[in-house]
Amino acid sequence: MVGAGWDIVLADALSSPTLRVVGTGSAILGAVSGALGCFALLRRQSLVGDAVSHAALPGIALVFLLTGTKTSLGLLTGAALAGWLGMLFVQAIVRTTRLDDDTALGLVLAVFFGFGLMLLTFLQRKPKASQAGLDTYLFGQAATMLREDVVLLSCVGVVLIAIIALFWKEFILITFDREYASTVGYPVHRLEILLTVLLVGAITLGLRTVGVILMSAMIVAPAAAARQWTNRSHRMVGLAALFGAIAGASGAILSSLVPNLPTGPTIVLIATTWALASLLIGGRRGLVWQWLRRRVLQRKLAEEAVLIGLYDLALAHGDERRGHSEGAIRALSPHAVGVRGRLRRLKQEGMVEETSPGSWILSKKGRDEAKHLVEKSRETS
Amino acid sequence: MNSSLQQQSMLDDKPAVEVSDLTVAYHSRPVLWDVDLTVPRGVLMAIVGPNGAGKTTLLKSILGLVPVAAGQVLIFGKPLAQQRHLVSYVPQRGSVDWDFPTTALDVVIMGLYRQLGWIRRPGSRERRKAMEALEQVGMSSFARRQISQLSGGQQQRVFLARALVQNAQLFFMDEPFQGVDATTERAIIEILRQLRSEGKTVVVVHHDLQTVPEYFDWVTLINVRRIACGPVCQVFNEKNLRAAYGGRVAFIVEQQTEGC
Repeated sequence: MVGAGWDIVLADALSSPTLRVVGTGSAILGAVSGALGCFALLRRQSLVGDAVSHAALPGIALVFLLTGTKTSLGLLTGAALAGWLGMLFVQAIVRTTRLDDDTALGLVLAVFFGFGLMLLTFLQRKPKASQAGLDTYLFGQAATMLREDVVLLSCVGVVLIAIIALFWKEFILITFDREYASTVGYPVHRLEILLTVLLVGAITLGLRTVGVILMSAMIVAPAAAARQWTNRSHRMVGLAALFGAIAGASGAILSSLVPNLPTGPTIVLIATTWALASLLIGGRRGLVWQWLRRRVLQRKLAEEAVLIGLYDLALAHGDERRGHSEGAIRALSPHAVGVRGRLRRLKQEGMVEETSPGSWILSKKGRDEAKHLVEKSRETS
Repeated sequence: MNSSLQQQSMLDDKPAVEVSDLTVAYHSRPVLWDVDLTVPRGVLMAIVGPNGAGKTTLLKSILGLVPVAAGQVLIFGKPLAQQRHLVSYVPQRGSVDWDFPTTALDVVIMGLYRQLGWIRRPGSRERRKAMEALEQVGMSSFARRQISQLSGGQQQRVFLARALVQNAQLFFMDEPFQGVDATTERAIIEILRQLRSEGKTVVVVHHDLQTVPEYFDWVTLINVRRIACGPVCQVFNEKNLRAAYGGRVAFIVEQQTEGC
């Protein structure tokens, strides 16, 4: 596989109608789940995606058990209904007991998913092996995606995105400040239900390709990555849709090319790798940049402390030309380690002079700077 | 401006807020018990009381944000549902996630969403109005800042601007002075006085007893029950403070019966 012409395989892939279908379908599901995932993430409801997707499994199995259908439309309708039922259970548990959201979500997730697995096992024991294919909903399978599936995906996807666009400002308002939205007269509860319906819809779209177990990652990962690269909500949603689409398409195509590579894990691996990279290096929020900025600031503060130390020494002795040893400076500095390095850097900047080896004084420039720093600190305190 | 004056004169005869027999309970523990309250038009009123006295709950139940066990609230003589366009709310700063991906200007524009109606997008007219409100609170140069990059006091002023832009008659503010810098405190007080001079009514949950006589002309003392409600010079006295705070009043009110 490797070596002998990946380029040819790739060129074949791009011209293959099957792969074009698979790629398009997976890109759409990635885009929709990425966009709606932003709202779940900003509302701190990432776990909801997990609960909904796991809760969908018994819906799929029950629809097959009762009707014998294996069409996407039938099975996914069952999935959506079961996911929605799971959400209603969560709300009922939170309302009537003292359990909190997380506990209720965990409970519903486990009970529904367990029931779904039981149904799948039961179906497997039946003769005729008619359930063949249902278990692809666990980890997803892109390769068998048909044109009709993509048409269905596109239609539902367009509807979901259109509703977000239509109620954009209302959704943003209830996400940012729910109570305020309520005081100006918005039907906040109904808008929240609509948003949850959309989320269930987006998750359902992905079940066929990504599978119930990992679908929640497609809700969280593109949104978390996008948050790193922008500080504006509409750009965040756009970027999350883009990241989701890229992860969906590339993962699905890769898994169709490599035998026995499951689709769901491949897509999710790509999406989460990008999310991780974004957390580390993304925009001003990137952890690496934050760490570097903190280091630069620390170094600057330590150098200022050395300048102020020398300034205080000069004042205490009443003699600006008298040199001071590193030991004396170290005693006055809150950062004792590394004083020598700081003195050398300050010398390069022309702030201090070394009168004789190991003996330091402030230059004219350094004295002005130190005076300025002392005055500034006096003002703020 | 003209329509706003008309709006005011039409409402002249009714008090801004009338609360009667209000009771609120969480898990069968009463938080507010049988509270009666009348806020006349055009006053700056502080709601004071010890921690857990139900100050925020009182504000939220007037605004219909918490379920009420019993009682009635009238805003300019009518139920809140008919008067929402006259009411503006400044929540506690800590009630939202300031890391939200949005700018100061966009937060202020949120105050215009309801006037704008469903589906329609804010345009240049809304941006201009929001900029004026930011100008009023001294924050116009921070309009494009992401809100997490603002200080606590600046965030509070953005919230205030969002309420101002609604052009309401009645303002409810929950602890607007909590943890803000001196500049912000002065800016807020300035705006409160300006609102009063325009005949508007402001109700503020307040923590600092020292500043009550200086900032407000009307005060409500509560501790689950209503202790007193009236002009500061009449009801803000040691007897009522002791009734509200028990023995914990560390501060004695100076004589201020004069000038009432």
